[in-house]
Amino acid sequence: MAGLDIEKRLLNDDEGRSIPTMTELTKRLTDICGPRRVSDRMADRICHTRDCGPSPGGVPAVIVRPQSTEEVAAIVELANELKTSIFVWGRSTTFIGAGIPEGCILMALDLMNEIEAIDFESQVVTVQPGAVWHAVDTELNKHGWELAVAGPGGMFSCTIGGCVAYNAVPHGITEYGMTGDQVVCLEVVLPNGEVINTGSAANVAAGSLAFERYANGPDLAGLFIGACGTLGIITKVTYRIQRIPPAERFLFYAFDDYTKTVDAAQAIQTQSAATFMIGLFGGPNPVGIEGDGFLHIIIRDNPLAAEERRGIAAAICESFGGNPQDWHATKNYWVDHMYSWLRNFPPETYYSHRPYGAPEMAGFIPTPKVKDAIRYLREYKESHEEEFARLDIRIKCYDVYFSRNGAFLWIDTLYPEQDPEAWQYGVNLRATYADDLCNQFMSPGGILQALAPVIMPKLGPGFEFLKFLKAHLDPNYILNPGVLLLQPEETQEAGK
Amino acid sequence: MSSDTKHSETSSKRHIDAFKEVIYSCNRCGQCFDVSWLGTGYNRCPAYKHGIFESYGARGKFNIARALVDGVIEYDADISERVFACTDCRACAAYCFKFLDTVRVFRALKADLAERDLLPTNFGAAVSGDSSLAREHNVYDAPQTERLDWLPKRGQVDVPADTVFFVGCTAAFVRHNMALDTWEILDKVGADFTVLGDEWCCGHPYLEAGRLDRARQVMEHNIEVITALGASKVVFNCPGCLQTFKKDMPELLGYRLPFEAVHIVEQVADLVEAGQFSFEVHLPKAVVTYHDPCPLGRGLGVYDAPRTVLNAVPGLRLVEMPRQREDAYCCGAGGLIRYDYPDSAVESGSDRLREAESTGADTLVSACPACLMHFQQVRNQLRSRLKIVDITALINSHIR
Repeated sequence: MAGLDIEKRLLNDDEGRSIPTMTELTKRLTDICGPRRVSDRMADRICHTRDCGPSPGGVPAVIVRPQSTEEVAAIVELANELKTSIFVWGRSTTFIGAGIPEGCILMALDLMNEIEAIDFESQVVTVQPGAVWHAVDTELNKHGWELAVAGPGGMFSCTIGGCVAYNAVPHGITEYGMTGDQVVCLEVVLPNGEVINTGSAANVAAGSLAFERYANGPDLAGLFIGACGTLGIITKVTYRIQRIPPAERFLFYAFDDYTKTVDAAQAIQTQSAATFMIGLFGGPNPVGIEGDGFLHIIIRDNPLAAEERRGIAAAICESFGGNPQDWHATKNYWVDHMYSWLRNFPPETYYSHRPYGAPEMAGFIPTPKVKDAIRYLREYKESHEEEFARLDIRIKCYDVYFSRNGAFLWIDTLYPEQDPEAWQYGVNLRATYADDLCNQFMSPGGILQALAPVIMPKLGPGFEFLKFLKAHLDPNYILNPGVLLLQPEETQEAGK
Repeated sequence: MSSDTKHSETSSKRHIDAFKEVIYSCNRCGQCFDVSWLGTGYNRCPAYKHGIFESYGARGKFNIARALVDGVIEYDADISERVFACTDCRACAAYCFKFLDTVRVFRALKADLAERDLLPTNFGAAVSGDSSLAREHNVYDAPQTERLDWLPKRGQVDVPADTVFFVGCTAAFVRHNMALDTWEILDKVGADFTVLGDEWCCGHPYLEAGRLDRARQVMEHNIEVITALGASKVVFNCPGCLQTFKKDMPELLGYRLPFEAVHIVEQVADLVEAGQFSFEVHLPKAVVTYHDPCPLGRGLGVYDAPRTVLNAVPGLRLVEMPRQREDAYCCGAGGLIRYDYPDSAVESGSDRLREAESTGADTLVSACPACLMHFQQVRNQLRSRLKIVDITALINSHIR
């Protein structure tokens, strides 16, 4: 197996590249971080081969856990010197396939997890990248504040640095936008080891005050948000915070026709009535509820405005034939952040302990196109029912997070992970969905290894420009190779 | 044991292979790392906190287990270190997104490692065939003949009775006051009880070491001597022993125990709730915080009984630590890790002690001899002024 061959490969590389032996690599990293935070033991390396998705990556050569920006920069400089790639690891809670290169330096950032400052006057918090999203939010909650975005599905474990680097799609996207929308300033270690600050924090002469993203010229933060660590390593995030809204209202509607669900959601979008809207169009129905489409609506505001917005949203749903349901399911979901509540299942019965993997496929589409996407998915399922049944493939959800003016469709197909045939079918199915939908109207959110081959070639000159940036910023292709396929084809094999 | 990789021959049949489905069920979400709803800096897993690398935490050990069942790696000394550094605190299982019984997987790993002679050095010696545990049936290297030295009246040994007080090795050999307190509580509440003349270690160390056959032997011995006395109930002051009896024995032996097993604090709480029991005023007034022992709390779900008792003592004010009940952080004494990983045990205990101090309490109460002993040691190392008290002492000194 690949993992066991790694020492041999590194010692006997015959391609003329100055790849170091593991001993040398480990020693040099130990010089930077000390012996306790560096490991080349297989027992440690084998724990860093995959994210939550179905596709295993390579086995890293060594794990290193820096505790400061200076250490991160020194590791990047060393990687350039030794021409060894780095994979940046937060908590690896993505579901797409992280793309860990064989033989890389795996840089785990979750020891850099401090809140450096909460600035209520400027309404920002500055944190190290390894801080867990929900933990930071909880600290703010103690003061009556919160992060300006509610956080992604993996909020109980995922890191802020990872969420920003992959621009995670968060709860509350309808009103609060994407994770990246609320980033104020970043500190980034560039692929050559230099450290820069973005936005107002770039002005060193003024004391690097972090309070405004769009100061000091181009929006450099935007360069690193969603770049999945390919253009720089985020070592500090200054993020917008807000007071916790005093009122919350919840609505839950079932519709006999899923297209009416989409129409209702679109009308609510135009009225800015919802803080967050989630549509359910596939997978199990909510317990005890008949319907073809379902809409959960969360409204957060001051009490008067919340009540007014609730009235607008309810009137819209009912005008499209929506039947009101018990909104406690919606509230439970919002409070617990457990998806099971969207279908009114307690988490323990919904998730259970079946060995099912989920090759996730997700992306943005215009709201009206949700109808086409759902029709496509349902027809696909219908025409492949026999195969699905034979391999025990199940649809967990065709769920939609409605954004301010569009939709984020999220397709979870479950397969029995220990069955190789079902596994392969599930992975292929994702690729088929991705290709079909991206050729029509979809553009993915977090692009990782599994989706990059599908979407990147479709970007045309945009892809070329990204490759141009990568080549100039990271000529040795050190950072996260294989994630966005930005390096020349001949070097795209993992770990080179 | 050397940290160098020591591959051993793979047995054709491994315990871990039976858990493939459970292992594959882990979706690697990472919820086993933190208690994020309390804020930053609240770890869930003491082994991961000390070991730093993921391999020490539950997600890592599941990754290792998966690589083992997939045949990608084989058992070695590094894996042994990571598996046996676990305090068996069940914190990872408490909030597993997939509700997996992580500890069963870890025990299968331990059993395989034991069969491959890959136990950590000191723990391996402690459960070996010529150990004190094998010869004298306790891990304290004390003669079995001294097991009842704490007992003031020998007349209550092996007497047919409704209730057996299972003393446990720690109270019997190194914390006599705990044994006495429990004995006196039972006496004061008028229980018809006895103690065993030939009590053996409950088997918990063997379970932790993956020595399942030896665990079965001692379990069967203890069941035999208890049932011979016709007892319908066994009372414990050690939640580790209680968990072994109540949870592990039926699973390992394959049958239900012929008696009820309860912790002394459960029995007292029942009496308090029934209004049959009250306490003297605690003077001077004191503020206490309660540490949930892992086997009693997450292991057996006993969270309310100790709080019922503490709240019933006039003059005591109970304040909670941030990590309480299901979220309680292990004291560091679990899994018998002190044999080989004392630094990890002390770090965990220190973290917990500091958390207790942060509440403003002057006394840290627990309901477990291992917690008591470990906290006392850590307190001395930290020169903390926090009093460490077992709940049996508190109950006994306040019974009206």
